[in-house]
Amino acid sequence: MFQAILIGLITLIAIVAIAIVVILRHRSHDEPRVTSAHPVRSINTVGVGSSGKAHTSRGPRVPSTPTTSSATDDQLRSRFTAMGVLVAAVFGSLGVKLWSMQVIQHASYASKADSNLYTTVYTPAPRGIIYDTSGVALVRNRSSFTVLAEADVANNRDVCLRLSVLLGIPLDVVRSRIKDTSTGAQNNRVVASDASLRNIAFISEHASAFEGVSCETRTVRDYPYGALAAHVLGYTGTVSDDELSSARDGQDLESGDVVGKSGIEASYENVLAGDHGTRTLLTDADGNVKQIVSETDPTKGNDVFLTIRAPVQRIADQKLRDIVAPNGYLGSGSGTAASIVCLDVRNGEIIAMSNFPTYTPATFIGGISQDIWNDFNTEESHYPLMNRAIAGAYPAASTFKSFSAMAALTDGIANSSSTYNCTGTWTGFGEDYPQKCWLTSGHGTLDLVGGIANSCDVVFYDIAKGFYDAQNTLGDDALQDYIKQYGFGKTLGIDLSGEASGRVPTPEWKADYYKDAPEQAVWQGGDMTNMIIGQGYVLVTPLQIACGYAGIASGKIYKPHLLKEVRNSIGETVISSQPQVLYTPDMKEQDIALVRQGLVDVISVNSNIKSEFSGLSYDVAGKTGTAEVSGKSDYSWFACYGPLDDPRYVCACLTEEGISSAQNSVPICADVLKAAMQYDDGTLDTTMSSVPGNYQTVAYSSSSTSRSD
Amino acid sequence: MAQHIQQISSVRTPDRQVARATRPRRFKYFNIPFIVIAAALITYGLIVVFSAVANNAEYNFSRQLGGVAVGVVLMILLIRYDYHRLSNYMVFFIIITVVLIMMPRIPGIGISSNGALSWVGIGPLRFQPGEFAKIFVVLLAASTVARYGGRLNDIREYLKTLAILAIPFVCILTQPDLGTGLVYLFISGVALIVGGARPRYIVVTVAIIVIAVVGLFLIDPIADSIAGKDVLLKDYQRARLLVFMDNSYDPTGDGYNLQQAKIAIGSGGLFGHGFMNAAQSSLGYLPESSTDFVFCVLAEEFGFMGSALLLALYIALILVCFRIAHDAKDLFGTIIVMCAAGMWLFQILENIGMDCGLMPITGIPLPFVSYGSSFMVVNFVMLGLIGSVWAHNGR
Repeated sequence: MFQAILIGLITLIAIVAIAIVVILRHRSHDEPRVTSAHPVRSINTVGVGSSGKAHTSRGPRVPSTPTTSSATDDQLRSRFTAMGVLVAAVFGSLGVKLWSMQVIQHASYASKADSNLYTTVYTPAPRGIIYDTSGVALVRNRSSFTVLAEADVANNRDVCLRLSVLLGIPLDVVRSRIKDTSTGAQNNRVVASDASLRNIAFISEHASAFEGVSCETRTVRDYPYGALAAHVLGYTGTVSDDELSSARDGQDLESGDVVGKSGIEASYENVLAGDHGTRTLLTDADGNVKQIVSETDPTKGNDVFLTIRAPVQRIADQKLRDIVAPNGYLGSGSGTAASIVCLDVRNGEIIAMSNFPTYTPATFIGGISQDIWNDFNTEESHYPLMNRAIAGAYPAASTFKSFSAMAALTDGIANSSSTYNCTGTWTGFGEDYPQKCWLTSGHGTLDLVGGIANSCDVVFYDIAKGFYDAQNTLGDDALQDYIKQYGFGKTLGIDLSGEASGRVPTPEWKADYYKDAPEQAVWQGGDMTNMIIGQGYVLVTPLQIACGYAGIASGKIYKPHLLKEVRNSIGETVISSQPQVLYTPDMKEQDIALVRQGLVDVISVNSNIKSEFSGLSYDVAGKTGTAEVSGKSDYSWFACYGPLDDPRYVCACLTEEGISSAQNSVPICADVLKAAMQYDDGTLDTTMSSVPGNYQTVAYSSSSTSRSD
Repeated sequence: MAQHIQQISSVRTPDRQVARATRPRRFKYFNIPFIVIAAALITYGLIVVFSAVANNAEYNFSRQLGGVAVGVVLMILLIRYDYHRLSNYMVFFIIITVVLIMMPRIPGIGISSNGALSWVGIGPLRFQPGEFAKIFVVLLAASTVARYGGRLNDIREYLKTLAILAIPFVCILTQPDLGTGLVYLFISGVALIVGGARPRYIVVTVAIIVIAVVGLFLIDPIADSIAGKDVLLKDYQRARLLVFMDNSYDPTGDGYNLQQAKIAIGSGGLFGHGFMNAAQSSLGYLPESSTDFVFCVLAEEFGFMGSALLLALYIALILVCFRIAHDAKDLFGTIIVMCAAGMWLFQILENIGMDCGLMPITGIPLPFVSYGSSFMVVNFVMLGLIGSVWAHNGR
């Protein structure tokens, strides 16, 4: 490079030097130079030349027209000098400019030329496959016949019309798809994906009638079990401009790519996405490809293995559907929406996570239509895209009482010999502020275990008052601080996006929340009594309840997770998740034994709950809950775990507007828990079948029955 | 005398100079360096044009060769012809110039392209009379200035000369072809300088022209809006000037052309991509690669060395012209040669300058290189006239 610059520099100097020499040679005549002008004049005297326009340095000459005077000759010289200067200026400036462009700035122009000439187009890579824990493929890839057209087909009305008729797509849509440059100007445009083999064959056979149209086999997502685990798996879609601009460093993302939009597809996008195949093309100014310079094949993404047990998941999905939307009619069953989480107490693995209403991820292949998208986001459809298990924040209701009771025992507000008297109405904060037990006739005299078993509100009102009165010794937030040890009020960090944090209200929180209405911002006894029965400002997700009960069952709360491991294309495990303890609640053995006893009694005192768990070789503990939501029928909860002496699985289920948990949440949890246990024993029917995702919404007519907790 | 003897001894080779001055010419009509340089330039130009037209079906290399053939014949005839006989036809030159410039306006034979009427088609023949008019503008300038020569320091004589020389410029503006008009203007300017006009007059004239152009630019939009149509500058001319002043101003894509031209030149580097390897032009990124932007093809294929060689050949040609002009028998001959050289100089500056963004974009061809047989013939006629001036300088 240095040598090149040097050579160029010398050339430039040479040019400039020539120009300067011209000027100097003209100038030299203006000065009487004794050494050169006179001698030649002397030569003249000896008869060689004469005066006139003689310019001796240019060579002596014989004058033919000795008419011009020496004055004109001087004038002529100055005129030639002027022209010489002009010539030097023109060639000097051109030379310098060319030097700077061709030598100094060469690299920048060369790269501009390259970006002119070369275009890189990308071929999409197949995404990795998502398996359940035992290798059942939940999301696969399948070949899809794609009809592609070159850009100029848009101007060919005949071909567009034929495509329109053959594929059943309106002419305008065909045109606009061909004109769409979002996948790169040099890429062929997708007219239709998932075309039928018949249409592909027709186009291939009549190639002359479809000039510029080609067919290609591409891979798209395939969901062998329909809507199974839809919210866990998530759906894919074409990358958005925002996602493109916020792509991480090193992320191989191109316009037109299919990326995960929700669920595992989104949270393990970087693992599932493969590497693009690239084609570098030499193109002319009109964009015509002249030559393929280089080509690499795409590589498939890594496979993801989940902790999900597909057969258990199938039972969960099916059970929710049977309860909420029997025969596909949402509103004709019990409740309007439901969610269940089943996880392994021993390591936080999610065994099943299911929601209803649900959707079929396949709806999103090749782009979801605006109509369907709008339908998915209406009140009437009950938002099927929402993963209620992690994103739905609900009042915890009576399921909260287990944690309240543990708090009371730990902080000395209650003990095994505490007794309470329930008359149906509680006036602990004065006659002016009466609060009712859900059983308005009253539970009579109860101890703490009885209070949990019967879910007596009055027992807990008394405990709340105990905490409220002990503010001076225990502090304002003693109850909340203890409850938070079970993972409430914060996200648990599951490997899905959209997790809600829920809420455990404290005086500070209330003061902040009502900072614009100070008269409501005061923390009152009523806030305590509401919170202790899981009402008021308390919000939890089904996943939080499941994790909280895992804590009750085992004394440890593991981080809930869906990823088991990631395997690369040759089957090596490249990532595997390790159990991680999130919380170890502060609990004494005799205290937790009391609460567990209460939870066992919950099953035994309610005959219709007991019947769900009858005939099992192990015992189950659980807790119901009925959440009051303004403007809605009551939401029903059930959380349970088993086996009692060696807990393995915990289930938590919420049914929106389910009213009585015995009709919905309890049987759902029971079936899933039993399925999980049977899966371990190998007695579960593992035959997989497709789970439908479609449903129709009909007017909800809840068959209101009496409340049981 | 002693002084003289001493001075004689200081001349290094007096005998050789004496011998050279008295030596009979080997070729009576042909100045060998002049012919060699011209031949080298034309050969270089043909090589570049061959590459530039290779990927363009619109152009035909043999047509360019035809222009060269016709040109060579004309050149030889003109060298034999005594230019001096032309010195008294001033009025005739005015008429010929005006007729040639106005020819495209004649209904039926005028052909409009790119917003300007500059082509004429008679039968299968297509040519630009404005190019041929350059010959007569040179002759007109030479004969006019030669007639008033020596008296141009008088303001009245100067103005008279100026008025005559302005005729072709005014005529070409009606086409309108600003670029060619500037060439005429430059030729006239060279004639005035060499003819001995007072520097002060020339400076004032240039100043007036500059003020007029700036004023035109300011008044043009107002005049257009009053008249409701283009009255002074054509839109494309306005755009070209604006693009030159501000690269981001690009309503018609002229900035794209300039951008591509600069990329072509810059990507050539020091040694270029080699003959026939100008990707920018062969893949169609460079517009007008055979005509206006032919220099970019050269620069891309042969790099800075190639560009420098071309500039060196041009410099050599102009220097030889200067020498011939200096040795001419009379002022008429001197001015013919200087005007021809001046025309080339201006077209070189304008063409290469616009390719690298130094000058506004106009449709001025590069001498001896650009595709176009009209201008090729004109160049040979100029060579012929210069050769004639040398052949008939009385020695």
